[in-house]
Amino acid sequence: MTDCGCDKAKAELEEYLHRELSQQDFEDISEHLAGCDDCSHEHLIGLKLTIKVRQACQEKAPEDLLIAIRTRLENA
Amino acid sequence: MTATLVVDPPPVLSGDLDLSLMATDDASEDARAKRELFEEQALPYMDQLYAAAMRMTRNPSDAADLVQETYVKAFQAFGQFQQGTNLKAWLYRIQTNTFINNYRKNQRNPYQGTIDDLEDWQLGGAESVTQSLSTRSAEAEAIDHMPDSVVKDALQAMPEDFRLAVYFADVEGFSYQEIADIMKTPVGTVMSRLHRGRRLLRESLSDYARERGIGAAPAATPGSTT
Repeated sequence: MTDCGCDKAKAELEEYLHRELSQQDFEDISEHLAGCDDCSHEHLIGLKLTIKVRQACQEKAPEDLLIAIRTRLENA
Repeated sequence: MTATLVVDPPPVLSGDLDLSLMATDDASEDARAKRELFEEQALPYMDQLYAAAMRMTRNPSDAADLVQETYVKAFQAFGQFQQGTNLKAWLYRIQTNTFINNYRKNQRNPYQGTIDDLEDWQLGGAESVTQSLSTRSAEAEAIDHMPDSVVKDALQAMPEDFRLAVYFADVEGFSYQEIADIMKTPVGTVMSRLHRGRRLLRESLSDYARERGIGAAPAATPGSTT
């Protein structure tokens, strides 16, 4: 309904991004972002950072790890 | 011939033997069933646990050891795991504990307090993030094109508690409450570690981009080609 303003939006962007806000706060900030270039740019960077980290941290365990684990479980 | 075969073994002993053999069969059958259930449910998380272990130990051989240790401990404690609750979070809790108990004490931290007590200026690189829109478009662009290895290096260079908070939230998608349980710390501390970690990461990626002249940052120095 009413724009929550840049201060509240900026303060809660991280929680917004990580889906840790109440429904009401989430809607307020979504609405603010829709109309504010400054905050939505800031949000975009946060989002890209998350996506980048997630992408960079994908790793495959070495092939012999599975065998090593299975062997240890059999003897556990 | 047939007679000797039937009569030969002493009856009492044979009865005992048969019983004990059956009991061992049942027991090993049970153990196998339990192990199979555990493997079926827990092993699909191996790659993820390994990736997390790499962020924790920062080297492949310790990471592999840590994951093995985690699975052995988890298997031994599997009876206490409540089916239907979050197995992934449970495994991460065990791995984080194991890491803290077995590995972290080997890496002596010269700073005796906790990282959460440090002021931002002590962590370095805490310049204001207030920038013009065009600079920020450039920053978004630069993040997109950042090589994975640079992101990983930047993460590795961060204080461990910040690095893990960022990892748990952004890579694994755990909620603040789940991270608080895994790291055994209040939710407020999780938030602060996550915010500060992400800010450090953002700054270090920006620095990298600026040094390489990526993203048309104003003070790009020519000639730093690699």
